[in-house]
Amino acid sequence: MTTTEIATSSIDIFSDEVLQDPYPHYAALREEGAVVYLPRNDLWALTRYRTIRDALENSSVFSSQRVAFNDDMNRALAGTSLATDAPDHRQLRKTLLAPLTPRALKSIEDDIGSKADRLVDDLVARGSFDAIGDLARAFPLQVVSDMIGVQGVARENILRWGEAAFNVLGPMNQRSVENFPVAGELFQWCKTVRQEDLVEGSLGHGIFESAKRGEIAPESCGAIIHQYVAAGMDTTITSIGNAIAHFAAFPDQYARLAADPSLVRSAFNETLRYEPPVNLFGRHVKSDIEVEGTLIPAGAQAAVLFAAGNRDPRHYDDPDTYRIDRDPADHLAFGYGIHTCAGQGLARIEALAILSACARRVRSFRVGEGQRQINNMTRGLSSLPVLEIRAK
Amino acid sequence: MSGVAAMTKGAFLRIDRDRCEGHGQCAIMAPDLLHLDDAGEVVIDVADVSDRMEAARKAVQACPAIALSIE
Repeated sequence: MTTTEIATSSIDIFSDEVLQDPYPHYAALREEGAVVYLPRNDLWALTRYRTIRDALENSSVFSSQRVAFNDDMNRALAGTSLATDAPDHRQLRKTLLAPLTPRALKSIEDDIGSKADRLVDDLVARGSFDAIGDLARAFPLQVVSDMIGVQGVARENILRWGEAAFNVLGPMNQRSVENFPVAGELFQWCKTVRQEDLVEGSLGHGIFESAKRGEIAPESCGAIIHQYVAAGMDTTITSIGNAIAHFAAFPDQYARLAADPSLVRSAFNETLRYEPPVNLFGRHVKSDIEVEGTLIPAGAQAAVLFAAGNRDPRHYDDPDTYRIDRDPADHLAFGYGIHTCAGQGLARIEALAILSACARRVRSFRVGEGQRQINNMTRGLSSLPVLEIRAK
Repeated sequence: MSGVAAMTKGAFLRIDRDRCEGHGQCAIMAPDLLHLDDAGEVVIDVADVSDRMEAARKAVQACPAIALSIE
């Protein structure tokens, strides 16, 4: 076998500088090679669209035993659907997915649409608001809390918990260290939550019913609820917030959407391609594998850079341009293969409901300066003031 | 070419039911070729897609679960 010299880069992909504006760095890595070794992170970055899809498809070599970038979290996640390989993955996935299939979600779709309409009516009447706090965070908080049946103090903590749950998937840097206690609160709540703490008729309440019927182990109820909360908040929040930010940054694109709100599905796919909510996930390399001429040794950890693949000019024309009619349904934001985002159906329903409610009511809008939220794993804003709205 | 070989010529959408999770992206990308029934199961409406390859490829490419292929 002839192996060419290994491409390397000295960047720390979890540094403030990279997370503030990762795209120029990802572009440099992508041009360096399909596989780039990062000595500072001890990671093998997969940077190009095709390479990433192939690796995600090859889940027997690219194992999910190390999706997080620190050992403590990988131990904490052991036994969850997210971190388990085939064949054990199958049953865990089935349980997790059951309430999230498009068919199962049909019953709550209308309710989510009504909630979105009411929220946007209220915000349009106010005229100025924070697109992150009052909209991108407020809406999934309401939808996911109602769905799981979370009430009281726990509901007030869910936003903090959701953000921390992603930060702690990063390496043991300052951000992870600071967020471990907060992420620990969520683990602790999930471990101690009882059926009567959750609203009757909710999904969370129903999980305990399944355990009573013997369909799942009683001790796994908390783990399942943990996955819904940890995976369901910051992902949807950042993608809705990013969509509003893109509409504000590219007013000609928003004008097209306002003129034809049926473009909202395509526009949301383009938002997920242009700035995926989760920049990357890890994989454990189980056996030596040659990828595009580079040998990745067994035992290494790969960093699957969804966000770099989504801007690969080998796959998308003019990838740094945001175009709402592009409809890139094959983007990498939800991953691909057996671990593809289980909540993507719910995420689509939430995002399409809220974004189409905006497109149907708002002709144009003006924003002030947004603040970037720096998180080890996710890409989003912490605030984006909407200063003025022209309603239809 | 024998008659049997001629009949098996063409390009056909194939669903791996074991992998399909009902995300429904194929039916959105190629509504003329597939749809979801009331139970959320994918139904193939056009058997031979050899003259509809662009739509068929879009549907395959959009499947997040790698459950759809062209044979």
